[in-house]
Amino acid sequence: MLTEVLEDSSLQLEERSSLPVIHIGMATCGLASGAKALHELILKEVASRNLAVKVVPTGCIGMCHNEPLVDITMPGKNRVSYRNVKPNTLTQILDAHFNKNEFAKKYAVCQIPVPGAEPFAGLPLMQEIPFFKGQVKIVSKRCGMIDPLSIDDYIAMDGYAALRKVLSSMTPEQVIDEVTKSGLRGRGGGGFPTGVKWNLTRKAPGPEKYVVCNADEGDPGAFMDRSVLEGDPHSVIEGMILAAFAVGHARKGYIYCRAEYPLAIKRLQKAINDARERNFLGDNILGSDLSFDLEIKEGAGAYVCGEETALLASLMGERGMPWPKPPFPAQKGVWGKPSVINNVETLANIGHIILGGGEWYASYGSEKTKGTKTFALTGSIKNTGLIEVPAGTPLREIVFSIGGGMVEKKIPFKAAQLGGPSGGCIPTSGLDTPVDFENVVSAGAIMGSGGIVVMDEAACIVDTAKFFLKFTQDESCGECTPCRVGSKIMLDILTRITEGKGQEGDLDELVRLSMYIKSNSLCGLGGAAPNPVLSTIRYFREEYEAHIRDKRCPGTVCNDLIKYVVIEEDCTTCGLCEPVCPSGSVTWEKGEVAHIDLTTCIRCKACVDACKFRAII
Amino acid sequence: MSQTKHIEVDQDFIENLCDEFGNREGTVVQILQRIQEKYGYVPADALDMIGEYLEIPKSKMYGVLTFYSQFYREPRGKYVLKICVGTACHVRGAGLLVDKVKEELKIEPGENTEDMLFTLEPVSCLGSCALAPMAMVTDTAYGKLSPDKMLGLIKDLESEHLSASEPA
Ligand SMILES: Cc1cc2nc3c(=O)[nH]c(=O)nc-3n(C[C@H](O)[C@H](O)[C@H](O)COP(=O)(O)O)c2cc1C
Ligand code: SF4
Ligand code: SF4
Ligand code: SF4
Ligand code: FES
Ligand code: FES
Repeated sequence: MLTEVLEDSSLQLEERSSLPVIHIGMATCGLASGAKALHELILKEVASRNLAVKVVPTGCIGMCHNEPLVDITMPGKNRVSYRNVKPNTLTQILDAHFNKNEFAKKYAVCQIPVPGAEPFAGLPLMQEIPFFKGQVKIVSKRCGMIDPLSIDDYIAMDGYAALRKVLSSMTPEQVIDEVTKSGLRGRGGGGFPTGVKWNLTRKAPGPEKYVVCNADEGDPGAFMDRSVLEGDPHSVIEGMILAAFAVGHARKGYIYCRAEYPLAIKRLQKAINDARERNFLGDNILGSDLSFDLEIKEGAGAYVCGEETALLASLMGERGMPWPKPPFPAQKGVWGKPSVINNVETLANIGHIILGGGEWYASYGSEKTKGTKTFALTGSIKNTGLIEVPAGTPLREIVFSIGGGMVEKKIPFKAAQLGGPSGGCIPTSGLDTPVDFENVVSAGAIMGSGGIVVMDEAACIVDTAKFFLKFTQDESCGECTPCRVGSKIMLDILTRITEGKGQEGDLDELVRLSMYIKSNSLCGLGGAAPNPVLSTIRYFREEYEAHIRDKRCPGTVCNDLIKYVVIEEDCTTCGLCEPVCPSGSVTWEKGEVAHIDLTTCIRCKACVDACKFRAII
Repeated sequence: MSQTKHIEVDQDFIENLCDEFGNREGTVVQILQRIQEKYGYVPADALDMIGEYLEIPKSKMYGVLTFYSQFYREPRGKYVLKICVGTACHVRGAGLLVDKVKEELKIEPGENTEDMLFTLEPVSCLGSCALAPMAMVTDTAYGKLSPDKMLGLIKDLESEHLSASEPA
């Protein structure tokens, strides 16, 4: 399936180019892995070797675990992807392509097919390697392929073609129809049908309307929107223009982006300027009667501002407090006018839907969740990164095939956390859950915006639940008492449990409080805050009980419950543990069993790792 | 925490800002962002000046300022060590990074070092969870950190500061 999408259009770019192209991944992950220095080095190498090539920075192709990534495309040949590129490997790679007319097998991950080009023998195609095999790239199709700073790159891959099509041959009703047919549901977590939302905004009275893009992406462990904004910013802009057209010629749009994404903001601003210059934005777009412009508003660090009504309040310069719905933003949004507010990924899908047709989009996915969904795979998993799969793909396939399984071979899977602070943990028994809106809810979590954090047996479930609760408690805006005070009480109980001061009845109390908070909170933050606790009590009751009754943390995470001791029978008296202890807590004499002083031990685990005989537990 | 002298606020700068943004709605957040960009924090004097100039009640200005975690009411260090304590980083040992900084620089989260060189700021997800644990210093992201690498980063920043302040 990926082949089909790729062959479609993706590589006309290289096709058009007669020069060799060197792509380098320069999204935030790439930069954090040293892509900037590498980029400079490439430019230097290219100059000193006197090569006529194009060096193109690109966004995230999803293999973030392999960063820095460098791709080389020689004219008439497939594009070869290299991973973990270091200065010394770079020279070998360049030698291979430019001096020997081959590729550097040792560092290559795969080859990306270029239509009409010659494949390399002995290197798998992109869609053949496990990481990409189960993926279908629609919304992330251009990410990592094009230069996000180049509007021409975007246009070469069907960019703004949907806009041209709509302006020349479609009515707003037809656009809404197509979106409705596609079955697209909000990717911000709520899953509300996008077509229906647009229609509501369209029908709302008054000529003045607004389009708002929710780029607040506050869920920790989620970076799907960031990847799209950094890798394909124009797709979001095009989606917003199409929304403006559909809801009744909205004239103004806002992108509310969290300030933690400085690179995304920079690239978006450049994209907006370029789009204006080409009259994709501005007055009488492409000669039509549609006039629409965009402004970026930076968030100021409040998670609750991801909630749509709080976001609107913040956009209007107020404290970001949610307001009770109704009125919905479709009726009363920015400056009290009807506004459509959609997530980044939702909007980035629109262009593809218009071009491919609603039916085509709906041919992917499960019964009630159509199309594809991007996920951010993180945690104790081998292939961390960004993936896009048809909705309904089983969790097992995501974790073990695409994700490559656990990072530490010896430590098995324990749970996957889906949906961030509003979601829950799915244990081994739930690995066959198809990941779509409905099925994940039955399994006790939510699909949410797409963060999947994989935990292994060394993680502590109670600590994780506590972590999320602390997060929501910190971020509660304080408007309603159940959320503000209830979550604090729950957090106190969980803290006690992790400190070994848990009591019988604590779990019942947690469940009781959860129910109360869920049904008495104004916005989704409070309404979903207890979910991480409820889902973990459901699946991991024994682990809570181990903390409460036996004062034991099976994952050895909760510091107060960890007591490192030397098992006398297993200790070979080798002494390796003694010098590594930073607090001088290990005593050992030649020929004697080591001993740990728990009153000074800081639980750094250094001795455990140092002991080759697993004598310290 | 060190007691640092507050900065003298430039009245013209504030009034220009207000003129630029002022007559439109919903600009308080943006004005505050611009002030913070210039001074590194939002000085109380600046708040008073805007309030007077735009005739916005002081209570409202404070309400907005204190709501958002991104605004600071105190000056901050030259290098703000933003250590991600989001989920993905948490499960990969972000806590150890914070502990290391606390131990090395003798500051608690939210505090500055005496010499105003560093501020420790645990933040929620920086969006590069694939490279957890992550930290960001002046818009540069650092991935796959360990306590030792964190220490190395601090040393690097210290020497960067020294070479920058040396007379040429
Ligand atoms: C506490 C809370 C946080 C939210 N954070 C986000 C967010 O970061 N990004 C987002 O797109 N939607 C977020 N939402 C969902 C929005 O309220 C809203 O449903 C969404 O922006 C609608 O767009 P969609 O229909 O395209 O998903 C959040 C909701 C709640 C209750
Ligand atoms: S549920 Fe919590 S975050 Fe939402 S409005 Fe109430 S107090 Fe604020
Ligand atoms: S866990 Fe760390 S502090 Fe404790 S005894 Fe082992 S090495 Fe020393
Ligand atoms: S490293 Fe292990 S075997 Fe060696 S002295 Fe320490 S506890 Fe005993
Ligand atoms: S950010 Fe580089 S591949 Fe994901
Ligand atoms: S959780 Fe740390 S970068 Fe996302």
